[in-house]
Amino acid sequence: MRTPTETPRPWHSGAWSVWALAAAACVQLAPSPVYVALVIAVAWLVVEAHAADGPYRHAFPALLGLGVAFAFIRVLIAALTTHNGLEVWFTLPQTTVPDVLGGFTLGGTVEATVVLQSLASGFTIVGMMAVFGAFNAVASHYELVQSSPRAFHELGLITTVALAFVPATIESAHTASESDRARTGGLVVRRGRLLRTLVPVLERGMERAIALSESMDARGFGATPAARTDRVAGWFGLGALLALGGAFVALIGRASPTAAALGFVGAALLVAAVALASRADRRPRYRLRRMEGADWVLAAVSVLAPLALGLCSVAGADSLVWRASPLAWPSFDPLVALALAPLLAPLLRVPDPLWRRRTAIVAVFRRQNSGGVVA
Amino acid sequence: MSAIGYRGVSYGYPDGPLALDGVDLDVHAGEILLVVGSSGSGKSTLLRAANGIVPHSTGGRFGGDVTVFGRSTRTHLPRELADVIGFVHQDPEAQFVVDRVEADVAFVLENLGHAPDAMRRRVEEVLDALGIAHLRDRNPATLSGGERQRGAIAGALAAAPSALVLDEPTSQLDPQGAESVLAAIARLNADLGTTVLLAEHRLERAAPLADRALVVDRGTVRYGPTAAGPALADYPGAPSVTRLGRLLGWDPPPLTVRDARRLAAEPGRAPMPTFAESEPSAPNPATGALATNEPARAAPGEVLVAARQVEVTLARTTVLRGVDLEVRRGEVVALLGRNGSGKTTLLRALAGLRTVDRGTVRPKAAVAYVPQDPNSLLFAPTVREEVAQTVRLLGRTDDGAVAAWIDALGLHDLASRHPRSLSGGERPRVAIAAVAVGGAPVLLLDEPTRGMDAASRHVLEGAAAGHATRGGAVVLATHDVELAARCATRAVVLADGEVVADGPARTVLGGSLFAPQVLRVLPPFLTVDEVDAAMERS
Repeated sequence: MRTPTETPRPWHSGAWSVWALAAAACVQLAPSPVYVALVIAVAWLVVEAHAADGPYRHAFPALLGLGVAFAFIRVLIAALTTHNGLEVWFTLPQTTVPDVLGGFTLGGTVEATVVLQSLASGFTIVGMMAVFGAFNAVASHYELVQSSPRAFHELGLITTVALAFVPATIESAHTASESDRARTGGLVVRRGRLLRTLVPVLERGMERAIALSESMDARGFGATPAARTDRVAGWFGLGALLALGGAFVALIGRASPTAAALGFVGAALLVAAVALASRADRRPRYRLRRMEGADWVLAAVSVLAPLALGLCSVAGADSLVWRASPLAWPSFDPLVALALAPLLAPLLRVPDPLWRRRTAIVAVFRRQNSGGVVA
Repeated sequence: MSAIGYRGVSYGYPDGPLALDGVDLDVHAGEILLVVGSSGSGKSTLLRAANGIVPHSTGGRFGGDVTVFGRSTRTHLPRELADVIGFVHQDPEAQFVVDRVEADVAFVLENLGHAPDAMRRRVEEVLDALGIAHLRDRNPATLSGGERQRGAIAGALAAAPSALVLDEPTSQLDPQGAESVLAAIARLNADLGTTVLLAEHRLERAAPLADRALVVDRGTVRYGPTAAGPALADYPGAPSVTRLGRLLGWDPPPLTVRDARRLAAEPGRAPMPTFAESEPSAPNPATGALATNEPARAAPGEVLVAARQVEVTLARTTVLRGVDLEVRRGEVVALLGRNGSGKTTLLRALAGLRTVDRGTVRPKAAVAYVPQDPNSLLFAPTVREEVAQTVRLLGRTDDGAVAAWIDALGLHDLASRHPRSLSGGERPRVAIAAVAVGGAPVLLLDEPTRGMDAASRHVLEGAAAGHATRGGAVVLATHDVELAARCATRAVVLADGEVVADGPARTVLGGSLFAPQVLRVLPPFLTVDEVDAAMERS
C-alpha cells in the first residue's frame, strides 16, 4: 500500500493548457492521417494515465465521438457537392439547387479523391477534438479559473458551473427516456416522445439551477460590494468594446490607419480594465497552486513538438501533409514521429501507473470468477 | 438567547396563497429544533425565511420580520448572512459549485475574504468534523448520497456560522447515509454549540436528537415548540414507538426503542395485548384497505412474473447473481437491501427494461415499473392530463381507470394542478398513478416513499394493498422496514446481488437486526395497527 504522501501531485492546469495547445498545433502542422492518428493515440494514453474519476473522464470519448460525427457530415457534404472528375467511384442521381440557395449541384459523380481528401481533413477535426477532450478529462477547470487573472474569476467560475451541467443533463436525458419506456410497459411510442423526454430534462435542469443559485447565495457568493475600481474597470471594458467594434467597422470600410489606431486604443483599454478589475479583487485564494519547476518543464517540453514539426516543414519533410491526388498511401517519416514524442511528456509523472491499475483489474476479475464458482 | 427570531411572519409566493401565516418563533441559541409537518405545510418556506432566501430569491409578499443574531433579513441579503447562518437543502446533487470536495468547502471562505492561513485551518477542521477528510480530493459526483450531503454540510459550515438550517437533509438518502448525516449534525451541535433548525420526514432517527420540536400545518405553527415527545405524540408521521406509547397510554410518549422497552418493562403496567396468529386484523379505517397481511397471505394466487437464476453485469461488476424470484397474484413484496445491493437492477430486469446476461425472466402478465425519480416522468400541464396521457399512449380509451387511480392515490384535489408545482411527497404519487393506469397487473415501485410525508405514505400503502387485493401484485424496493412491516405480505432481502432472505414479512423482519420498532418492543407485533386490533379484541 502506498501512503498518500507518495502520490505525485497532478500536473498544473497551466501546464496542461500548454500541452493541449502544443498538441493542437501538431495536428495543424502535420495533418497527414498517420501523424493525426499518433496524436490521438498519445491523447488516449494521457487520458488513461491521468484522468481522475468523475464525469469529466467521459469528456474524452464524448468529444471524440462528436469529432467523428462532424467529420462524417463533412465527408458526406463534400462527396455530394464537390466534383473534380478524377477517380470516379460511382454516380448518383443529381439535382441542381435553385440559384437563390447557391445554385450548386447535389449528387452526381462521387470521386475517390474527394472522399479520401475530405476524410483526411475530417480526421484532423477528430484529432483536434481528441486533444480538447483529453484536456477536459485531465485538467482541473477550477484550478484554471483560480490561476487566471482575477478579472476573469467570476466569469470563469460561472463557466465551470455551467460545464458541470453537461454530464448531469446527459444523465437526466437518459433517465427520462428510460422512464418514458417504463411508463408504457416497454412499448415504444414515438409520437410526441421528444416532448415527453425534453420537458422533464429542462425542468430538472431548472430546479437544479435554482437550488445551486440558492446554495451559492447562502454561501456568500458576491457578498463583497463592488469597489470603485470595479466600476472604473467596467467603464474601461465598455470603452474597449466600443473601440474594438469601431476598429472592426473601420477595417471593413478599408480605413486602415483608423482601424489600427482604434484597435490599439481598444487593446490598451482592455488590458487596463483587466488589470484594474484584478487589482480590485484582493480576496485571497484557498490553497492556490502555482506552476512549479516540473510544470514549467512539461510546458517547455510540450512546445518542443510543434517547434520540431515546424523545423521539419522548413526542411521540406513532404510526409507532413497528405494529398489524395494522385492516389497513394500516406507516407511515414520516423523523424516526424520522433518530433511528436515530446507530447508524451505528461506520462513521465503519473498519479496511478497503468501497470498498477492493470493488476487491480486482474484482481477484480479473479475475485469475480472465484465468486462465480462458489455460487 | 434567541438565535433566530420570527415575528409575525407571513409570506405568499407570487400568485400563490399564503405559505406562512403569522408565524412567531424563537430558535434558542445552541438547540436542535425539529420542524415537522406534511408536504406543502409551509415548513420548507419557514426554513428558507431563516436566511432570507425567502423573500429575496423567491419574490412574493412578505410580512413581519426575521432576525438572525440581531440582523434582519429585511435589510440583509442571504449572502450577507453567510457568516452567521448556513443552509443545506435536500438535493445532495445540486449544492456543489466546485468539482473538488475540499475546494468546495473553501468556497464560502473565499467569498467572505478570509486570510489564507485561517482558511486552511478552518477547512481541515470542518473536513474532520464531518468525517470526510479522506474524500477531500474526490469529485462530488463520485460520492454516495450520504457522503455528498455531509460535503454539502461542510460547505455550509466552513464559515463557522452559529446556526445551521437543514431542509430535509436525509430525505434522498438510504438509512446508512441518513444516519451518518444525522450523527454529524448531533456532533456539531454537541461540540461546537451550533444552533440547528432541522426539517425531517423520517423521524425514527431525527426525533431523539431534537431538544424541541414543532409541528407546522397550513403555514402556521400548530403545536410547539416543546419537548419532542409530546410535540410529536399526535403527529401522524411520528415514530412507531411514539404512536405505540400513545396507544398504550404511556406518558411521556417514548421517542426511541430504548425508552419504549424501559417503559414496557416498568412494573405495574397493564398486561400487554396478546398476539393471535389466525385472526384477521382490522381494516384500515382511513383507506378501507386491510392494514396487515393475513388475508392476502392466506391466498397467494398464480405466479405473475418469475425470475430464474438471473445474472446481470453492469460495467464489469456483477450486480445480480443467480436471483430467483416469483411474484404471485395478491402479494405485496417488499424488496429490502442496502444501496447497491441490486434492488433497482432486479426491478428493471423484471420489467424487461434491462436484458439479463444469464437466466430467464418470464412475465405471465404485463409488468409496469415506476422509476425512482418521479420527475423524470412528469411532463404534462396537469395531474389529470399526466395520468390520461398513458392511456392515450397505449392507444386505449379511458374506461374510468384514470379517475380510479387518481382517487386511489389521493390526487383528487390536486387533479388540475401542475405536477411540478406539487411537493416532494405528492409527485411520486402522480408518477405511480401515471404508470399504474396502464393496467399492468404487476406494479414495480422503486423507492416510492423517498421524501414522502406520513400522509402520502399512508395513501400509497392503501393503494398498494388495494391493487393486490384486486388481483394484482406489487413489488416495492425500499429501505424503509416500517413501510415493509405495514403493507408487505412478503419480504425479500437482497445483499450483494443475491437473495439472502425470502419469506413472510413477519418471519423475515422478525429475525432482522433492523427489525421495525414495534417488533423490537412488543414481538411478534409488527405494526401499531396490529396492537390496536389486538387490544380491541381483548
